[in-house]
Amino acid sequence: MNVWLNRFRTFDWRNTWPKVVAAVPVIIFLLIPVFTQGEIVLNMLILSGIWAVAAMGFTLILRTGQFSLGQAAFMAIGGYTSAIISVVLGWPWWFAFLLSGIVSGIVAMLIGSVVLRVGGIYFSIITLSLTEVIRIIAQQWEPVTHGSRGLITTPPPNIDLGPLHINFMANSVPFYYLTLILVAVTGLVFWQIGKTRMGGTFYAMLANQTLAEHEGIHLMKYRVIAFTLAGVFAGFAGAIYANYLTVISPLIFGLWQSIQIMMMSIVGGMSSLVAGPIIGSTLLYVLGIQLARLPIYGIAQLLYGAVVVLVLIFLPKGTGLIDLWPRIWRKIYREVEEYEIPGETRQED
Amino acid sequence: MAFLELDDLTKLFGKLAAVEDVSFKVEQGEVLGIVGPNGSGKTTLINLISGYYKPTRGTISFMGKKISGLRPDEIAKLGVVRTFQSNVLYEKTTLVQSMLMSSRLQYKTSDIESFMETKKYKDEHEGVVGNALQTLQLLDLFNETFRPASVLSHGYQRMLGIALALAANPKVLLLDEPTTGMNYEEAQFVVENIKRINEQGITVLLIEHNMKVLLNVATRVVVLSFGNKIADGNPHEMMNKPEVIEAYLGTETV
Repeated sequence: MNVWLNRFRTFDWRNTWPKVVAAVPVIIFLLIPVFTQGEIVLNMLILSGIWAVAAMGFTLILRTGQFSLGQAAFMAIGGYTSAIISVVLGWPWWFAFLLSGIVSGIVAMLIGSVVLRVGGIYFSIITLSLTEVIRIIAQQWEPVTHGSRGLITTPPPNIDLGPLHINFMANSVPFYYLTLILVAVTGLVFWQIGKTRMGGTFYAMLANQTLAEHEGIHLMKYRVIAFTLAGVFAGFAGAIYANYLTVISPLIFGLWQSIQIMMMSIVGGMSSLVAGPIIGSTLLYVLGIQLARLPIYGIAQLLYGAVVVLVLIFLPKGTGLIDLWPRIWRKIYREVEEYEIPGETRQED
Repeated sequence: MAFLELDDLTKLFGKLAAVEDVSFKVEQGEVLGIVGPNGSGKTTLINLISGYYKPTRGTISFMGKKISGLRPDEIAKLGVVRTFQSNVLYEKTTLVQSMLMSSRLQYKTSDIESFMETKKYKDEHEGVVGNALQTLQLLDLFNETFRPASVLSHGYQRMLGIALALAANPKVLLLDEPTTGMNYEEAQFVVENIKRINEQGITVLLIEHNMKVLLNVATRVVVLSFGNKIADGNPHEMMNKPEVIEAYLGTETV
């Protein structure tokens, strides 16, 4: 018995590499403002981080076998909640920020427990229309949302911590760290989910829904949990986005944004709940910015689409860029070939 | 009070009765074979018991509790777990991962405790891993532990299907033709395993259309034909019953 468990433990050592690999970018990202406070760099990183959080939520929902096109709607709900509470009601900013995630989580839970009863393509269509519905509500509900003029958000209050004086309006550094904290918290929660039993449950639902249900997994319950968690973090991301841009209007969270989140998640790779979406969103966001500088109108979207198609052709079946890592790893360490790398199927024998 | 009881169970697809007024009882610890020619409603019966279909009429009760109308996961939680006629597996994951994904019902700790990785959860998890490996060894799958299900041969995939069902801690195991696509010797191997599973105190409901296989393992046999129960009793007696022979061959033979 112990021999078997030991074999399982030696099998488990492969799972330690993410910790080492994850520590490197965390340290780099923590130190970036020390080396550069250039607005262009920070702006890019902040917005990639915001999209990364939304994309992580998308991947989590995808893990339960559902394809949500409503992530932008929850970002909009979070953004509008924080703006309305702090501007229209005049309540404290941090309280409004906290509520943004909670409100969008509650909305996600309520909508999810109805909509998730229909699975598959119907769910995608409903969430897609949800994005549009939220946009139209934001446009039409003039007294509260100021319609298409948008709401000018109040900046977060200055924080005085003795020698450390944080002014959100002076430069982008405080927003950078706020985003980094959100990405880190989301990443830790999702990583822990992926690592523990719930991750297995989600993966079972993705791999074979019928079998999972017959082995005692309550599909609805876990679908709603994933949808709610994705909603909560998308709400926080939306709140940061709205406050960082200093304005929230119905245009910034539309259908295109929902599709963009989906593409980020797919390009990054769905086999990883955290690293994949972060890589995908950073890459696609920076790419989008660079392409938008090209002089020809519409070429940005065209090339953007081409990149996604290329990734889908060369890394099919939901494996994104993150899945290149096991292949590289295997080239380095030949002895690992004896074991299977998750997400890849050995073709021999 | 019977262990598992089917009472006037009927399932209509439109006007076609796939299963019609079938009643029988399953006693604890027995191996009950369900036989019948193709299209006699055997798989529909398992789909009804496991909650995949809702019965049109009639009830199914398990240990005195009505289970017809419940969802498959609720029924599995009570201890009635099925396998599938085709190889329904988690194909990409290794066997041990598949087993752990199927072992949810063995845990007593909540999802929150698992998320926090409390000591209680870790201890329990270690036990579950041990159980998974033990089940794999019981069904002769241990050498394949770290390989994905999709590279296994058909016979091993059938066995893995049973292993996954066993991981869900069943009291009653519903086996839907575990020997499909196997020759007699391979089927014999499966039968040996079913006997071993039964020795652990798990009641087995075994669907089979090969009578020869059933004779070796079943303690009792229910014969279905066109959705109706036509006979019920000792397997050796069943072999010689004229109505059973008629159901299989269409005409009376000597």
